[in-house]
Formats: sequence, structure tokens, C-alpha cells
Amino acid sequence: MHTLAHLVATVVFAFGVFAVSLYALINVGYLLLHALALLELRDSVRESRWDPPFRKFASPFYPGIGVVVPAYNEAETIAESVQSMLSLNYPELEVVVVNDGSTDRTLEQLIDTFDLESVDAEVPFEVPAEEIHDVYRSTTYEELLVVDKENGGKSDALNAGLWLTEMPLFCAVDADTIIDRDALLSLVRPFLNEPTTAVASGGVIRVANASTIEDGVVKETALPKTGLPGIQVMEYLRAFYSGRLGLNRVNGLILISGAFGLFRTDVVQEIGGYRHDTITEDFDIVVRLHRYLKEHDRTYTVDFVPEPVAWTEVPSKLRVLSRQRRRWFRGMVETIVTHRRMLFNRRYGRVGTVILPFFVAAETVGRLVEGLGYVLLPLAWYFGLLDIEFFLVFVLLTTGFGVFLSWFGVFSEVWSFNRYDSPWQILRLLWYGVLENVGYRQWRAFIAWRGLFEYLRGVDTWGAMERAGFTTEDD
Amino acid sequence: MIGFVPAVTAFGYSVPQTVVLVFVALVVGLLLAVQFYLTIGLSVYRSVKQTRRDRVESELRGELLDRLFAEDPDWEAWVSDLSSVERDVVESLLDEHLRELDGTEAETLRGLGDALEIPEHAGRRLEAGDEYERLHALTWLTLLRRPGPYLDSSFEPRTPRERASVVTLLEQTDRLADEETGIAILLDGIDAQFTVFGQDTLYRVARRDPAPLLRTASEAYQTWPEPLLGQVLAVCAQLETSVRDGELAWIVAVLETGTEATRAAAADALASFGWRASLRYRSFLERAVNDPSPRVRNAVYGMLASWGDRAALDVLQQALAEETDPSALTAGMTALARRQDHFETDPGVMLGAAWDWSLEHVEYDRLARRAETRKVR
Repeated sequence: MHTLAHLVATVVFAFGVFAVSLYALINVGYLLLHALALLELRDSVRESRWDPPFRKFASPFYPGIGVVVPAYNEAETIAESVQSMLSLNYPELEVVVVNDGSTDRTLEQLIDTFDLESVDAEVPFEVPAEEIHDVYRSTTYEELLVVDKENGGKSDALNAGLWLTEMPLFCAVDADTIIDRDALLSLVRPFLNEPTTAVASGGVIRVANASTIEDGVVKETALPKTGLPGIQVMEYLRAFYSGRLGLNRVNGLILISGAFGLFRTDVVQEIGGYRHDTITEDFDIVVRLHRYLKEHDRTYTVDFVPEPVAWTEVPSKLRVLSRQRRRWFRGMVETIVTHRRMLFNRRYGRVGTVILPFFVAAETVGRLVEGLGYVLLPLAWYFGLLDIEFFLVFVLLTTGFGVFLSWFGVFSEVWSFNRYDSPWQILRLLWYGVLENVGYRQWRAFIAWRGLFEYLRGVDTWGAMERAGFTTEDD
Repeated sequence: MIGFVPAVTAFGYSVPQTVVLVFVALVVGLLLAVQFYLTIGLSVYRSVKQTRRDRVESELRGELLDRLFAEDPDWEAWVSDLSSVERDVVESLLDEHLRELDGTEAETLRGLGDALEIPEHAGRRLEAGDEYERLHALTWLTLLRRPGPYLDSSFEPRTPRERASVVTLLEQTDRLADEETGIAILLDGIDAQFTVFGQDTLYRVARRDPAPLLRTASEAYQTWPEPLLGQVLAVCAQLETSVRDGELAWIVAVLETGTEATRAAAADALASFGWRASLRYRSFLERAVNDPSPRVRNAVYGMLASWGDRAALDVLQQALAEETDPSALTAGMTALARRQDHFETDPGVMLGAAWDWSLEHVEYDRLARRAETRKVR
């Protein structure tokens, strides 16, 4: 009995040392990242405020972009989404909609709305995707191409689109995403500034739940009134304005949101397109780009541009959010396991030696350790190993620092593009920043464990996203 | 938190760990308080500023348009009555309208810029500001077509963006001595690539007379960084003009020896200069269509289709019959299909399914374009 108690005490003590060290390491890393993000944001804001005196639309130097839109059972919104994408301000645009074996009227809606006709000729080359039934062209919109194929999932649909677009760049977009009219003009900037090295760029995703959308355009930005979407606004702001901007400063961006990213078509084709056996294809594709280009000693950049914005509806029910986050966690673990050889490997430069290990420590191990801590704490208390005074101060410290990092995202928003322009909304955002660290963060640690168990059990389902629909002026 | 050593020892002093933690917690608390007030304070400041602007903007816009179309806008009298917020809003409105309007209206509006003393401010910013200040100043002088403050200043452009802004200002105000000068400002001693604005400026100057650009490039292209060379070649690809054979030798050299990106850009550039005797060598064309990079072959196919003569199309047709890369194949086929009226016999016999695919897409392009033209009418 005495030996068992000693063993428990040793394990709990070792865990405590490990957890505190990991916490310190992660937070110092985040603090550095946030500082880098501020510098990057300052440069981006100054850049975006200078509008050079030339007519962009008359310039022949914007590379063509194929907007690839995978669509599965989107009959309700597909016509409006495609119309919105056809109206994007960009000199040379192609919209490729891939109907991924929808069982509703998605294809019929497209045929009726855009006067589509089936192309008689067979696709003359191999497309690494499920069977393509038909390719349609519009008789009224030159820039629209619709592909109807057997269901194969999002990666499969994206591959069909990126093999069929003729444009040198392609933009992967979710069918339910609203893109700001001028967003592509900004998102393409890295490809204009570094024409020979840029391979990918990502923009900001914002939460559209309470904003007013009319004709595919966000007319009025508003902060969701309910807690769950509100906390996600906070979470997205922190992720984009702190995490990704900071990583961009050191050319270490390893994630571009699947809802809105721009890539060089030939390079993505070169690496074989999107992997079918992953559920977080957006994370995987960027890590693979880093891996492939480093292995081939090619100079390249992957950039984040904070100004162009795409809007998406986030889950407003805990059940749906849990399903989404478990999927994200499973996908993250799966991608890390697949590319584990990159970890601490100097061959992959900064991404291999610093960024990916930090990401694993902070987003994967960190969350699991935090979850484990919530289980071990009562045990430690039971065995009389917990210094209550120390514990309380430590919790205050960790929560306070977490809030500090969350508020950093809010400050960046106010300082830069200030889309939530009312101080009351900012006050609410700050409150969501507190909630994110008290309650929501602990819930995420729990979800991480569930995600890990699902990964170990081999669960690979996406799960349906339930949407309430965007707010319109009529609402 | 769990069974820790209760004290931290350093330099012979021992401090209880809880004291250390309390101290750190106090620091974090202080940081939080500062951050909270800073964020809310900034938000209130920006909100108040925006509200003040919104309150007057609609009225000022109406007044500006009324005066713009009046016989005598009398900008000075109007501006002298404006508050600082109103002047700020009027400056924004002026910027917005000057980018949209041309002709007499734009010229009348420029008088408002003078009344707001923008050229004088711009002159001062040129001398004293940082790069962005200088860029904003040059932009204002261009929009207002007032090169004076720049010509009177000692300012020398240093970065590619400043070079482009200066050339745009001089070009838009007819103060550019000649194209040679413009090209020299843009390219002499440059060691970094342009933004798209710089590239567009280079294009606007070279379009008037491509010879200085081709001459400069021919002499200096080997010293340029790869992205800049790519940009200059992309400008050449848009010129579509006749030049002497000798001035193209450097582009041919890049197509044969450059990197993947510059080889592709060189093929695009040669497409715009048309079919010429110096490029007729079959060995040169065979090397070009057999380039190991699909991206380069794609551009070479475009070049051959663009030349459009019998010999070029024959080489293209042969190359496509052996092409294995899907994107190069479709792009080449599409380029060839746009030249279908040049064929006496159906190339489909030789090219197979890919030809039918491209031909049908070219037909749909034409159909949709006709529908769009009808919509516009």
C-alpha cells in the first residue's frame, strides 16, 4: 500500500513538473508569436492603406484564378453562392463548381440558373478523382464550368476541380462561404510580389452568424448575440490575427483554411493534389507542400494576408461544434502522424525544427496534457499532494495569461481593420475572451481526448454541419 | 502545483515559490488591465472618429457634386469653412472621385486638391516622411496631376515602389522626357522585383516605345534577380509590337537557359513579337517543345499558336500528339483550337479525344461571349 502511494505520488509529481514546463514553453512561444504578429500586422495595415494610382482591372498582370467550389447537397444556396462568386472583382476568373454526387437538386439548380449544357467530348486526361459523369458549360457565363461526379468527398471534389481548371492559380472555397468582393485582389498579392516563389496564400475567415448578407455580400457586420458563436468569433480572431500572422512573419505558415486559400495549380498537381484519406485536407496539403518543396530544395513562400476576408457560418449548437472539433483534432493527429518524419528534422528547415514541433506541443500534446491535468488534480488532492495555495495562484496565472493572449486578438482587430466598429461589440468580444479561457478551453481539452479516442478507433466520418442560414435584410 | 519545491533559490536568496507566482500573477493582471483599457480606448476613439465622419459625409458628398457641376465651384470659399474632420472627409471623397473620373470633371476636382493645399503637404511629406508617407505623397501628386512639388524637391526614389510612383507621376503629367528616362528610373541599378503597380508602370512606358526596354534588358538581364526578369518578360509578353531581330536575342537565350519560371515567361514574351526568321530554326523549336517542364511547354504551345503560321502550327500539332502532361496538353489544344480556321484537314484525326474536348470548349467560350455581348447591348 505504501509502495502504491509512493508510486502514485511519483507519477503525479512527474506529471506536474512536465505539465508546468510544457505550459511555460507553449506560452513563451505564443507570446513570441503574438509579438511577431503585431509587427506583421503593422506592415500589412500600412500596405493595405496605400492604394497606388493605377487601374487594377485594366492591368494584364494579374494571374488567372480558378475558384474551385466543391458542392454536396447545396441545392438551397448553390445558385446564390455561384452567382456571388461570378461577381467577384478580379480581372481573370474561372468558377469551377464540382457537384460531388449530391442526392438533392444541386445539379438541376445549376443547370436551370446558368443555362448549362453538357459537353459531349470525354475528359481527355486522367483526373485523380471518382468517375466524372458529365462536364457542363454555361451558354451565358464564359467563366463557369460545372463538373458532375460520383461522390468521393471534399478532397476528391477539389482534385476534380483543380485538374479541370485552366488557370495558373486556384482558390479552394466552400460552397457556403461568402467572399468579400475585392478579396481575391488582396489574396493574390504574394503571387504578384514573389511571382517565382509564392505557392500558396491564405486569408482571414470570419464568423458570419449575425451579420447581414444580401446578394452574396456582407452588408453589415455584427457580433453574434449568443455565447457559442461569439466565443468562436474570439477564437477565430486569435487564430488568424495572432497565430497565422506570427507564423507568416517567419515563413512558417503550416495551415491555410480550407474555406479560403489560393494555391499554384501546377505545384499542387505536382504533389498529387489533395489526399483522399484525410479529413483535414487543408492542413495536410500545406504540410505536404512544405515537405515536397523542401525535399526538392526549392525556394518557396506560403503566405498569410490578413486583409482579404471570407465569411462562414459557425456551429451554434454544442453538439455540432463538438463533432466539428473532434474531426479537426482527429485530422490534426492524423496529419502529424503521417508527416512525423518532418519533426525535429533539419532537412525541413524552420518548419521541421521549430514550427511543427511547437504546433504539436501546443495544439495536440498541450491540450491532452491539460485534459489529463483536470483528471489528476482531484487524485492529487485525495492523496494530499496538492498545494492548494500554489494551485489557486497557478490557475489564476494560466487563466489570466490565456485571457491576455485572447485579448491580443481583439486588440489587433481594433487596431487594424476594425470590422466590429462599436465599442459595445468590442466589450462583448473581450468578455468572450474571458469565457474562452474559463469553461470553453476546458471543454476543448475534453473534446481533444474524445477526438484522440476516435482517431485510435479509426473513426473517419465528417458528420453533417447543421446551418441556420445567414441573416438577410428581411430578417 | 503538485508537490513542488516550496522555494526558488537564486544568488543566495531563497524566495517562497508562491511569492514568485503571486508576483507573476500580479504582472499578468497589470498587463490585462493595460490591454483592456488600451483596446476599449482605441475602439472608442475610432468609433467617435468614424461617427463624426459618417455624420457629415453624405452632406459633403452632395455639396462636392453640386459644386463640381456648377459654373464656378469656388473651392477656396468652401474649404475655408470646413472643420478638420470635414476636411478629412473631403480629402477621402476627392481621392475616391479622382480615381473614377476623367476629363473636365477630374480637372475641376483637382482645383479642390489645390484649395485643400494637398500639393504643398505632399511636397513636405516627400522630404520628411518614411517610405509610405512618400508613396502617399506621390500618389496625391499623380491624382492631382501636380508634379511641381516633386520636381522642386531633392527627393530621389530608392525602392521599386517609389521608382514606379515617380515614373507614373511624370508619365501622367507629360513630364517624362522620353521612354528611355522612364525605363532608366525604373530599372537602373535595381536589385529587387516590382509590385504589380511597378510592373504595370513599366508596361505603360514600354508600350509607347518598346525599344529602350528591350535594349536595357538585353544589356542587364543577366544581373537581375529571377523574379524581376520574370516581370520584365511578362511586360514584353504584353507589348505586341514589331521589333528588330537583334533585340530579341536575350529572350531566346532565356528560353534556352533560364529557370523554369523565366523560360515560361520568355516563351510568352516571344509569342507577342510574332513569327520571325531568326526563330525558324527547327532545332530551336524542337528544343523548345521538348522542354522538360510542362509549364514551359504549355507556354511554348501558346507561343506557337500565337504565331499562327503553317510551320508553327505543324510543329505544335506534332508536339501535342506526343504530349503526356494533362495541363500542357489541354492548354496547347485550346490554343490550337482557337486557330482551327487555319487547318485544311481536321487535326482531330491526329490528336484524338483531346482535340474534340478543346474544340468544344472553344465553341462554348464563343457562345457565352456572344450572349454576354447581347446582354451588354
